[in-house]
Amino acid sequence: MAGSALRRLMAEYKQLTLNPPEGIIAGPINEENFFEWEALITGPEGTCFEGGIFPAKLIFPSDYPLSPPKMQFVCEMFHPNIYADGRVCISILHAPGDDPMGYESSSERWSPVQSVEKILLSVVSMLAEPNDESGANVDAAKMWREDRAQFNSIADRIVKKTLGLHQ
Amino acid sequence: MPGTLVDRLPLPNLKAYTAGSAALLSMAVYYALTATSQAGWRAGGGAAGAEAAAAADGALEAPAAPAPAPPGDRNLTEQVLDVATYMMQEPLCMWTLINASCCALALAGAGLQRLVFGRLRVAEAQRLKDKFWNYVFYKFIFVFGVLNVQYMDEVVLWCSWFTALGFLGIMAQLCKDRFEYLSLSPAAGGWARARLLALLLLLACAAAALLAVAAVYGLPAGWHTFAFMAAECVLVLVSCLHSLARLALQAADADAAAAPVYYTHLVFDMVALVVELVDALHMVLAHNMALSAGALVLLLQLRSLLARLAARAARHARYAALRALTMHHYPVVPGEGDTCAICWDAMKDARQLPCKHLFHSSCLTVWLQQDPSCPTCRRALLPPAPPAAPAAPPQGPRNTTIHFNRMTSSRYVSWLPSFSVEVTRAPPPPPRAQIDAMARQVQAMFPAHSLAQLARDLLATRSAALTATNILEGRLPPEEEPSFPEPPPEAAPPAPATVAAPTVEPEPEIDEEDDKPVEVQFSSSSHERESLLQRRKRQLVAEARRRYLARRPPAPAPAPAPPAPGPAS
Repeated sequence: MAGSALRRLMAEYKQLTLNPPEGIIAGPINEENFFEWEALITGPEGTCFEGGIFPAKLIFPSDYPLSPPKMQFVCEMFHPNIYADGRVCISILHAPGDDPMGYESSSERWSPVQSVEKILLSVVSMLAEPNDESGANVDAAKMWREDRAQFNSIADRIVKKTLGLHQ
Repeated sequence: MPGTLVDRLPLPNLKAYTAGSAALLSMAVYYALTATSQAGWRAGGGAAGAEAAAAADGALEAPAAPAPAPPGDRNLTEQVLDVATYMMQEPLCMWTLINASCCALALAGAGLQRLVFGRLRVAEAQRLKDKFWNYVFYKFIFVFGVLNVQYMDEVVLWCSWFTALGFLGIMAQLCKDRFEYLSLSPAAGGWARARLLALLLLLACAAAALLAVAAVYGLPAGWHTFAFMAAECVLVLVSCLHSLARLALQAADADAAAAPVYYTHLVFDMVALVVELVDALHMVLAHNMALSAGALVLLLQLRSLLARLAARAARHARYAALRALTMHHYPVVPGEGDTCAICWDAMKDARQLPCKHLFHSSCLTVWLQQDPSCPTCRRALLPPAPPAAPAAPPQGPRNTTIHFNRMTSSRYVSWLPSFSVEVTRAPPPPPRAQIDAMARQVQAMFPAHSLAQLARDLLATRSAALTATNILEGRLPPEEEPSFPEPPPEAAPPAPATVAAPTVEPEPEIDEEDDKPVEVQFSSSSHERESLLQRRKRQLVAEARRRYLARRPPAPAPAPAPPAPGPAS
């Protein structure tokens, strides 16, 4: 079980190293445990998260890729689809069986043909275009809808913080 | 429960316990020495039957014995024998001896742990503790509830028997946990594996030896005794053999999802469960304990065992059904040059789904147990309908979403009933109106297709986008001659010469990239990879910082006071 998961993760790591998508780096934090990765995601250009480097942790199950990994930002985040503790709420990370929000069609959910790269790209596009209907962070969703200027200023503060530039 | 209760007890650590035991033992030995140095001590004592057994213990105690060398004509061996005999007869000394052997066992366990496992991980330590207290709790119930032993000797015998077995069992559990952990890491040293292997072999031998002991000493005492003694031995033996088999399979690099491997695990799991079940049944039935707390606990355990057995059997039934399904309905095609999208390994022979996507047979079986749909296009996989496609969508039993909610209390205490709730949902209730709406939507894009045909495909895909993809990729040719001049783009021939690369997959290009710059960037040493990754991360952050500052020089005015984001749920 874990053997095939390991092989697959190694293949993904190799691909992400040789062919990294723009602004994304991911790999195991410590190769003693290949099932715990850290990813750095660059905030998409032209959005309020532009320029930030957001670190996130990916925890893979031992039956990966049959089950999706868990993803959690380890920096402060303020985003409608990210819980206060950093967990990311996007459909690609949900196993076909469970549907916490009760609205996703199974076609958007996890399947073994998805990959770390696809997850991270989805997260980038989630950063660019929050889905304010799935309120992982209700305050953020509300502010995104009603007070975009304030949302942007919070985002900018977070961006600076991730770059180590905060005063 | 016993686990959590015991956590609160102030238990001494091993060092204090060892020191205490050693002090007690030396006191007892000294007492025995003074007692035996008086002439005529044998007069009070009696049976020398224990002498033979005591010899072994005596030899062990000899170095610890302070040697005041009392004057006398007896030589050292005789003296030691005397002391040992005396200690075996004197109840207080006997208890100290038992305590000392427990301590020795604990020390041996700690030594083995240091030698083979090094530092235990938190999860391992937790499991160890759970298992230990669970075991103690159980055997206590067994000895005093089921056997209802009357004599001290019997209690002592049973306790030491179970102590030895518990020791083996805990070590076997540790081996299993550690082995699972090792298989998570690519750089797991061969040395660690070798030590694990050696310990496992040792444990298996010890369990087999104890089984032999049970046969020799237990059988004369009756079948029941033998069965009670043997059950635990067999369990330890099976657990060791299972771990060994796992090690061997991994060393042979066997495909984890292939049938032989699957059946190996199945057999071991089943044997262990059945032995445990029979043992529990035996306990309940053999000793006619109608209504007592012990019986209640045993019945609870019986129930949990039955549930586990049933769950395992159900899992197997599902596996077998899916395997049969894939074997019979999905053809094997040569998949040379393609990679399986599930495991990303190259394929030789592949199974082709009705949607033309290719996967390894074993990968597919494992995935289908989880979700009966094509991993690539999400098409629900039903047993293929007979060629004369019926108008109604086939509503096979496959078309269900199976979802387990498992409440496993065995993580804490295995005798607590663990249950699993299986929710079998009918295919997402196809709301006709919704399907029709989606069909009209798709028909607006592909007027060549009839509404009925689209609705049928939509029932399977449940998504307008996927149906559109199916049409674009030629998997859903229009039924009647299209009146529309333009046929669907690139209507693929019904049987594309088995190439049928999963069109959604970006993998093929990646694969070519894979082998080129390996030496340059993707080092084969895990250390280099780690440091390279660190370097790349640092570069990315530095670069981003530079760009940010270039775009927006550090603003003199600090950012507006951040409104504290409330504690979002």
